[in-house]
Amino acid sequence: MEAMYTFFMDKAGMGELGAHITVAAIMASLMFIVMALCAIIFTWMERKVAGFLQSRYGPMRTGRWHGWAQAVADMLKILGKEDIIPAEADKGLFVFAPLLVLLGSLLAWAAIPWAPDFVAADLDLGLFYIFAVSSLVVIGILMAGWASNNKWSLYGAARGAAQMVSYEIPLALAAIPVVMYTGSLNTQDIVIAQQGGIWNWFFLRNPFLFVAFIMYFIASIAETNRGPFDMPETESELVSGYHTEYTGMRFAFFFLAEYANLFLVSMIAVMIFLGGWWSPIPGLDFAPALTFIIKGVIMVFMNMWVRWTLPRVRVDQLMHLCWKVMIPITLICVIGAGLWMMASGAAS
Amino acid sequence: MAQYFADIYQAVSSAIQGMGITIKHIYRKPVTLQYPDERQVMPERFRGFVHNDMTKCDSCNICAKLCPVDCIYIESEGKGKERMMTRYAIDYNKCIWCSLCTENCHTGSITMSHDYDHSVYDRRTLVYEFMDPREEKIPCHRATRTEMGWWVEPKEEKKKPVPAPATDTPATDAPPATEDDKGDDS
Amino acid sequence: MATNDTRLTGWADQDHVPGLKSELLELNMGPQHPATHGVLRLLLHTDGEIVYKVTPVVGYLHRCAEKIAEGVDYKQWVVYTDRFDYLGPVTNNHAYVTAVEKLTELEVPARAEHLRVVTAELSRIASHLIALATFGLDMGAWTPLLYCFREREVILNLLERIAGGRMLYNYMVPGGVRYDLPQDNWVSDVLEFVTMLENKKLPDYNTLLTYNKIFIERTSDVAIIDRETAIDYGCTGPVLRGSGVQFDCRRNDPYSIYPQLDFEIPVGKGEMGTVGDCWDRYIVRVREIEQSCRIIRQALEQLPEGPVHAIELKKPVRVPAGAAYSRTEAAKGELGHYIISDGGTKPFRNKVRSCSFCNLQVIEKVGVGQMVSDLVAFVGSLDIVLGEIDR
Repeated sequence: MEAMYTFFMDKAGMGELGAHITVAAIMASLMFIVMALCAIIFTWMERKVAGFLQSRYGPMRTGRWHGWAQAVADMLKILGKEDIIPAEADKGLFVFAPLLVLLGSLLAWAAIPWAPDFVAADLDLGLFYIFAVSSLVVIGILMAGWASNNKWSLYGAARGAAQMVSYEIPLALAAIPVVMYTGSLNTQDIVIAQQGGIWNWFFLRNPFLFVAFIMYFIASIAETNRGPFDMPETESELVSGYHTEYTGMRFAFFFLAEYANLFLVSMIAVMIFLGGWWSPIPGLDFAPALTFIIKGVIMVFMNMWVRWTLPRVRVDQLMHLCWKVMIPITLICVIGAGLWMMASGAAS
Repeated sequence: MAQYFADIYQAVSSAIQGMGITIKHIYRKPVTLQYPDERQVMPERFRGFVHNDMTKCDSCNICAKLCPVDCIYIESEGKGKERMMTRYAIDYNKCIWCSLCTENCHTGSITMSHDYDHSVYDRRTLVYEFMDPREEKIPCHRATRTEMGWWVEPKEEKKKPVPAPATDTPATDAPPATEDDKGDDS
Repeated sequence: MATNDTRLTGWADQDHVPGLKSELLELNMGPQHPATHGVLRLLLHTDGEIVYKVTPVVGYLHRCAEKIAEGVDYKQWVVYTDRFDYLGPVTNNHAYVTAVEKLTELEVPARAEHLRVVTAELSRIASHLIALATFGLDMGAWTPLLYCFREREVILNLLERIAGGRMLYNYMVPGGVRYDLPQDNWVSDVLEFVTMLENKKLPDYNTLLTYNKIFIERTSDVAIIDRETAIDYGCTGPVLRGSGVQFDCRRNDPYSIYPQLDFEIPVGKGEMGTVGDCWDRYIVRVREIEQSCRIIRQALEQLPEGPVHAIELKKPVRVPAGAAYSRTEAAKGELGHYIISDGGTKPFRNKVRSCSFCNLQVIEKVGVGQMVSDLVAFVGSLDIVLGEIDR
């Protein structure tokens, strides 16, 4: 990052403001391209993983080798669809909702550290910023459900809002022990604190942190409205929940946002618990960005595995799980991790 | 309180066991057949599209009468010895592939083939004309067929049917007039 | 809708939000819906998530099969019976031909009876596999659907070898069955399949779905049908047995060779919650699959030699004047046929008492007070098929 700044400031002669703007523009486009690519790749991966878990193949024909071009074909198809806005729908909210949902997931990508000193926005409040900005998605979902003028969408939106707001608490609480160990909210510092091989990664440092990792994983599945917690968009009850009435590119935004969110929470899990861009064997760090991405893909696979195995949790049981099971456990993890830290005499 | 912890333990253990079962399927060969490259071999009795061999068919109308949905259209003109069949068509919009038409054909001309994939874009093309109406008409009466050189079913010796063991008189004869309301036991 | 319904007026009179007039939300779980197992329309009146009134509206799949019966022959109408419960069609055939045989007093050869029972039980297993699969799907478990369909594929292949069709068989005639065994190793293939199902696949389904805590939480203590309600509303089959009533037509009103066979009738015992909840109905179906495997083994072991039909297939069945009602245990419950004949080759009236039609009625009573998600679980556990309800 420093190299890019100096290049634009001195060699290209843009001055400080110009250099900042150019670098920001480059990083934003890069993030957007990576996000679009990950949406395409993960739709394909989801269908293949679902296929192999269910004793079948998944896409096989588009693109000859295991249907790799299926996602591309799907994107082209969605672009060509008719854009329908229901007659009684609230037009402004209806149009703005998918943009807000996409914005909520895209903004958080700015603080993810891909490699040493390669992060779009090196914020001292990095982790806090990520959790704060992901809550924009809730507003987008409520807007989508209300503006569709469809009772089923309203059901999905109400459930979705309740679920996402509730599960942000265990999500953040599970990340607190990590911050206690690191002493800083800066995402780069959190990764750097885990160097030295797999035994230094946070999820193995003490048993409370391991439980915190499991809690984070479960809360992240609930945050992305996937897997056993997909009440807002249950296909068997609400057809498609809050995005029933969306077609064409607007639906594609919801779709893109879902997979971007999925990769985002997996990357955060890797970053705060699984060692970021450090490789498991100390000293073998020749491709940090690649290691980070591979670990993210492994977490995405775990997410998909859970989704295709477990049945759905009902709305009230979901709330019970959050407030009466996960929050007490995460609170105990916070206290326990703190006591462990004091007892072992280690700060970060 | 104990129930609370028991629930948590049960939830985690059953979820992990379930995930163990699904992950095993990743290693097994999928059961999919890649149609149309790999196709299943149809068993002998498979009921595919109906095929009528027009050299043998003599328009006795048995198949048309037996069809539960009336999908066989047979038209003929003339009477007695001069009766000629002018149209034999099967309407696949209606056919249910039950094979009732093939069971009583006395010449064996109508059979079920093993074809099953004849999708079309226009429904009207699903009415299969087995006979081109512009071509020569098919004679129906046995003597006329012999005269004109068409295939004729060989006459079989009428054998006495072997009685099946331990069966009552089948209800194919005229019903006995004495029984009324005999089955009313609802 | 019915404003003289005490439940609704009671709700409307209460002061839910002081100063505001409140109404129940009228929702249509419409004919096109992924959860209603066919074209069923459920009219719901809900307050948030709680349902206060359910009205099922049926008739979207009506195909006038009973009226058509007055125009076709007894043997020809067998193909229409296939299309009632199209998930387990051989049991439907069985119900109809039993009624015709009662009226004509035909005696069916023993070999035909055994083949009938084997194919009917295979069909019952196929239907129950779909019940398990779609119930899991309604609960959000996508994977058991594919596993159950993989097993059902084997059954369909076996039945294709003996009857000629994969889903709609037209296998039985009044007086026997249409075909004898095929010339390949059908019997050993069936036995191999049944063994595999019992030893490997059912334990897999039990671990993956039946004893999964999330599934148990979703289905136990949900939509409880107690004994009296089940009997009052005329529920039969796994719905009745799940409420603890041990009633099965194969035992209580035996037909065919069932008196000679040794099998149990599973009932719901409230293992995971209360007697008569969704989990009980589900586990009754799983256990019935095991019992059907037992029946198939015994029937194949005792298969005698002989003809397979009592009448000549080429001649029409002429039925003496009279009326007969017979009932059999189809996969979804008790299927009854009431045939009135006036002495010709076509019936005068053919009335079908379909199990899913009577089972669906109980939703009006038991659906009240459930949440929308529970209603979906309830409809899934009733295992209705619209072909049978609407005929």
